[in-house]
Amino acid sequence: MKSIPAIDVRGLNRSFGGLRATANVSFSIEQGTVTALIGPNGAGKTTVFNLITNLFPADSGEVYFHGTRIDGLSPVQIAELGLIRTFQTARVFPGMTVLENLLVGRHHKVREGLLQQMLWLPSAQREEASLRARADVLLKLVGLSRYRDTHAADLPMGAKKLVEVLRALMAQPSVLLLDEPAAGLNDTETAELAALLLAIRETGITILVVEHNMSLVMGIADQIVVLEAGAVIAQGTPEEIQRNPRVIRAYLGEEVSA
Amino acid sequence: MTEFIQITVGGVLVGAIYALIALGFSLVYRVTNVINLTQGAFCILGALSTYMLEVEFGWGLPAAAGASIVAITLIGMLVGAGAFVPGLSRLSNANMLMMTAGMLTLLEGLMLVVWGSQPYAPPPFMGMEPVHVFGVLVPTQGFWIIGTTCAIITVLWYLLARTTFGKALRACAENPAAATLMGINVSRMQVFSIALAAMIGAIAGVVTAPTTSIQFDTGRLFTISGFIAVAIGGISSFPGAIAGGLLLGIVTQLATAYVSSLFSGAIALGLLLVVLIWRPNGLIRAGTQRRQDVRDEPRVWKHVTRLQPRVRTVMAMIGLALAIALPLFVPEGGIMSSLVIAGILFIALMGLDVVMGYAGQVNLGQAGFMAIGGYTAGYLATQYDVAPVWGTLAGMALSLVAALALSLITLRLRGLYLALATLAFGLLMDSCAVGLADITGGPSGLVGIPSFAIGPFDFGSPVAMYYLVLGLLVALMLLLGGLIRSSFGRALQAIRTDQMAAAALGINVVRCKLIALSISAILASLAGSLYAFFFHFLSPDMVGTSRSLELVAMLVIGGEGTLVGALFGAVLLTLLPTVFQPLAQWKTFASGGLLVLSFLYMPEGIFGSFARWVAARFNKPAKISTSPVVSHV
Repeated sequence: MKSIPAIDVRGLNRSFGGLRATANVSFSIEQGTVTALIGPNGAGKTTVFNLITNLFPADSGEVYFHGTRIDGLSPVQIAELGLIRTFQTARVFPGMTVLENLLVGRHHKVREGLLQQMLWLPSAQREEASLRARADVLLKLVGLSRYRDTHAADLPMGAKKLVEVLRALMAQPSVLLLDEPAAGLNDTETAELAALLLAIRETGITILVVEHNMSLVMGIADQIVVLEAGAVIAQGTPEEIQRNPRVIRAYLGEEVSA
Repeated sequence: MTEFIQITVGGVLVGAIYALIALGFSLVYRVTNVINLTQGAFCILGALSTYMLEVEFGWGLPAAAGASIVAITLIGMLVGAGAFVPGLSRLSNANMLMMTAGMLTLLEGLMLVVWGSQPYAPPPFMGMEPVHVFGVLVPTQGFWIIGTTCAIITVLWYLLARTTFGKALRACAENPAAATLMGINVSRMQVFSIALAAMIGAIAGVVTAPTTSIQFDTGRLFTISGFIAVAIGGISSFPGAIAGGLLLGIVTQLATAYVSSLFSGAIALGLLLVVLIWRPNGLIRAGTQRRQDVRDEPRVWKHVTRLQPRVRTVMAMIGLALAIALPLFVPEGGIMSSLVIAGILFIALMGLDVVMGYAGQVNLGQAGFMAIGGYTAGYLATQYDVAPVWGTLAGMALSLVAALALSLITLRLRGLYLALATLAFGLLMDSCAVGLADITGGPSGLVGIPSFAIGPFDFGSPVAMYYLVLGLLVALMLLLGGLIRSSFGRALQAIRTDQMAAAALGINVVRCKLIALSISAILASLAGSLYAFFFHFLSPDMVGTSRSLELVAMLVIGGEGTLVGALFGAVLLTLLPTVFQPLAQWKTFASGGLLVLSFLYMPEGIFGSFARWVAARFNKPAKISTSPVVSHV
């Protein structure tokens, strides 16, 4: 509680027609932690992501990123500040190889301008080479090297999800927002993902993750925020959440005793 | 006042045709979500075959018209089942639109082969003498047009609203998945909708033909007018289509009468652009909206081939050596000239590839920028003796300005609306080329353009021009290649399929599109200037909408998104007619047919398929690394 939170959401409201998708959502995320945003289907988790990254504007409320107010900035500006998100359905770019998908992530950090790229200047070549080297390291880290030059759209779902996380990582974010990264993954892949997320946290990147897979959430989260019907109903460590009667009633049901 | 009413009546008659074509568009669009640009060709097919049966074979009008309408309906069914419906499952909506443009070209080519390029004037159904109605002259054919339009609208309404067939058709329009589950054969309904639209088109053609002169490519004008009408009125609404058609007809007729016949096209396009900006979904909105301009296109029916740098360099060297040596083996003359033209067009095509192949932005107006470049350089050279280099640069600057102006409209648009806006831009340039006769020489063209020259070096001969173009191509290829292989190129490819995900990664979509369009416009302008200097002449139809469509065909046939691919398309479509002179009249047919076949069966194009073959043979297999590292952390 001493440092400035990586993300601070204050009183976010958004309605779609008559439906109140989020109601006064407030929470804050410590730097360098993994926070999980959970809740039943339709609780408004993805909406919160979309509001933070301003894919559509909030009706009211404020979002602070390392103490800077970012609601009202364009998605591009938000990404440039170092807040990068992934999407619920793995949105790899079709028509590009896995490597190229990763390189797209670094786009906003590329220093060499159009002219340098056009003229094949050594500085541009060096930068390109260092990007590729970085992407290769990441692919090796998760065991996807053999897919390096494969059409990204041809990958199995699990690999696509990982590619999307790596692509976000290439953007050198300070905060990563991951929307259901484990959806569609099998148990082995989920375990690999968990290891990856913890490794990412080790490097000092803050993670906010929406996830349904409870064993993953309980395994990696430092803090959990529970949404129900657009409102935050609980907030705390995995242990506290597992013991919270309101959460059990609203969401976890009986399974939590296991 | 009488004059005004007289003109308005004329406008209503013209508008009725537009409305009927728009109705056909709307019908197919509601069922398939695609605008079928072949619609106009169905009209002309109907009109020309009726003319042939009636005037040349001596059949009676009812028999001739009836037989034609049945035949065109069958052709429509064939087109639908053979190309359109198969395409629906494997092409993006933007590419579907391109493919229907190819089918339009194909049918035009067919008509060119059968009926030649001369105009026909079918006789009216009853007497030449116009009738006086309250002091206004109405041609007898006018009553037929109005009557037929009303009849078709009534029958169509009855069919859709009151019959089981109509219900099934509407079900396919509203929810194809649910319709399939209800046991409706959606593909068959889609074919039927096209056949029905073809029938409406044929009837419209037969009834209208006596009021205008028609030839093999008049269908293009019908298609474009109908397209504009439907965009003004609202694509998924029948009343909108009819209102849009009538409005367009009346406005163009009034503009022709009171402003200038040369600018009536420009005014119609202005009307369209206003509507596109003000109400992008048309004036009348239907209940269910499918916004096509913001929907992403995840369907990519393609292999992704990447040649390793080593392989690429070797191929480039071989290609360059061949290109340098080629003039030694090719005689001066037709073939040499064709190669130069192909090279010049390839400059415009590289630009088109950046915009369409990489960034995925439909562009049906590329030749509009060629027109700007060609006329600017030509005019400056002929009138003010400006050196070709400066004229060319001036054209490029002007094209850049035009591209920026166009992007004010197009940046927000995608898919269908983008196609329409770029098409309108091309047409606008076309009508300016015709209308600004003082500068452009009007329809007969700008003559006496000198050869291209740099200081004392004159590039008058085809061989000199060949090496000039080759040098430019190598330079441009290096520049664009550097750009495409770097972060900018990747950003364009990301935008192509998923703008939202791209933006979330910090890619400035608007900026990237703007740069891509600017590059494309500048290159097209350069190509247009060189084209004018090479021919010493420039007329509007050399850089008109047909040229734009031809460029698209070349790009797709050669292979989009490959930068070099378009060269193969350009050489193929320019060289074939020269080599097989006697078959030159088949050129249009072949270019349309090849485009459709490429889309359906070779979406990677000639070069894409070739590259895949090379990659399989010469790319070194990648080193396979071991299990993930992170799981052991």
